[in-house]
Amino acid sequence: MRSKWSYPLLILLMILMLINLYLIFFYAPLEKNMGIIQKIFYFHIASAWVGFLALFIVFLASIGYLWKRRPVFDNIARASAEIGTIFITMVLVTGPLWARPIWNTWWTWDPRLTTTLVLWFMYLAYIVLQSGGEGENRQRLSAIYGIIAFINVPLVFFSIRWWRTIHPVVISSSGMNLSGKMIVTLVFSIFTFTVLYLNLLLLRTDIIKLASSINLLKEKIHEFNY
Amino acid sequence: MTEYLRKIRLIYSKDLKIEFRTMNNLVSTVVFALMLVFIFSFSLQLADLDLNTVYAPVLWVIILFSSTLGMDRAFLREKENDVIEALLLASGECSSIFFAKFFGNLTLLFLVELIVVPLYTVFTGYSSSSNILLFLATLLLGSWGLALIGTMINSITVQLRSSRVLLPILMFPLAVPLLIAVIESTNSALKAGSGSEGWLYFLIIFDLIFVIIPLILFDYILEL
Repeated sequence: MRSKWSYPLLILLMILMLINLYLIFFYAPLEKNMGIIQKIFYFHIASAWVGFLALFIVFLASIGYLWKRRPVFDNIARASAEIGTIFITMVLVTGPLWARPIWNTWWTWDPRLTTTLVLWFMYLAYIVLQSGGEGENRQRLSAIYGIIAFINVPLVFFSIRWWRTIHPVVISSSGMNLSGKMIVTLVFSIFTFTVLYLNLLLLRTDIIKLASSINLLKEKIHEFNY
Repeated sequence: MTEYLRKIRLIYSKDLKIEFRTMNNLVSTVVFALMLVFIFSFSLQLADLDLNTVYAPVLWVIILFSSTLGMDRAFLREKENDVIEALLLASGECSSIFFAKFFGNLTLLFLVELIVVPLYTVFTGYSSSSNILLFLATLLLGSWGLALIGTMINSITVQLRSSRVLLPILMFPLAVPLLIAVIESTNSALKAGSGSEGWLYFLIIFDLIFVIIPLILFDYILEL
């Protein structure tokens, strides 16, 4: 997996990232009302997309693990959850940075914001679960939690949306009108971040695999000594 | 089907018998819940808040916290006595064990609420016209969902080290939609007349989803 794909993918990613930065800062026009602040939006949306995509991959890999019982699925799920946590953290940092000047508040209990926050907590819980046991037991139980967490996301979203439509909405969603160039930039940014995610996923899955084989070797040495 | 229900009833009554003979879990959970009631009503009093507005959220936070304390015993008992395998062999079906444990947790939750809710209402001095029927339905459906999530997560955490800490960590994110629904529903029950039963439907859907998930996944959870 590593030797064949990682280098071409890395080179592709470097090119894409440079183009992406060019598009964001030079190609996309400056938003009239928000100004330069609006540029954060391209990173924000792309990170959010990766954060939710990563959970979907956790879900698929978890089903794969329960079905086939191959450790590789657990490695993928684990790697994806870790990467997802990073990207959701980025969403939760860039969001308030943008919201403070535009909405005049750091945080609001909007469905999307709250769902993202709950997703972040579920990722943390998943990672704690992954580090809380050993062997087959841990892999199986975290696969189950990965599936339940994925099912929970729409429940969280719709409960909050319903709650927010009953109550008066303090701050309406941004209602931005994107020009054609902005949409091109956004789509390209999402694509670039997806490639970044795939890159990280391959690397991290590989590292986890290596780590577990090292542990296996250590155990063998330990047995040999006694 | 009757055979299946009989299995559930047998495991359930076994757990209940053990519980009422030792009283360990019930007493400690009730005492914990009482302390929560005291601490919350007392500190809210200090803030000089209008208690009617915070009645529902604080009540449900108390119930949520006490449920995490009470429910982590259900599978632990079997594990300490090392009889999970025996139980599996005897019942033959994983999901019957799950539902027996679920009813056990639900009973415990009801007993706690039976003491906590009146006392909390007295402490906060709540006085307003309210829709009792809607309030009770919310209490029933909310506890039902909480017991489902708790039992499921407990069956996961009991197989790991540091299970006590893991239960709330894994459970709270799943409880978020439920918490919103019960608080909103309680709020509309308290404001009699203006409230709607809409959130009850959400609770019913939530409870159904978390009945179906363990039916599918519980065989994988209790694999030994």
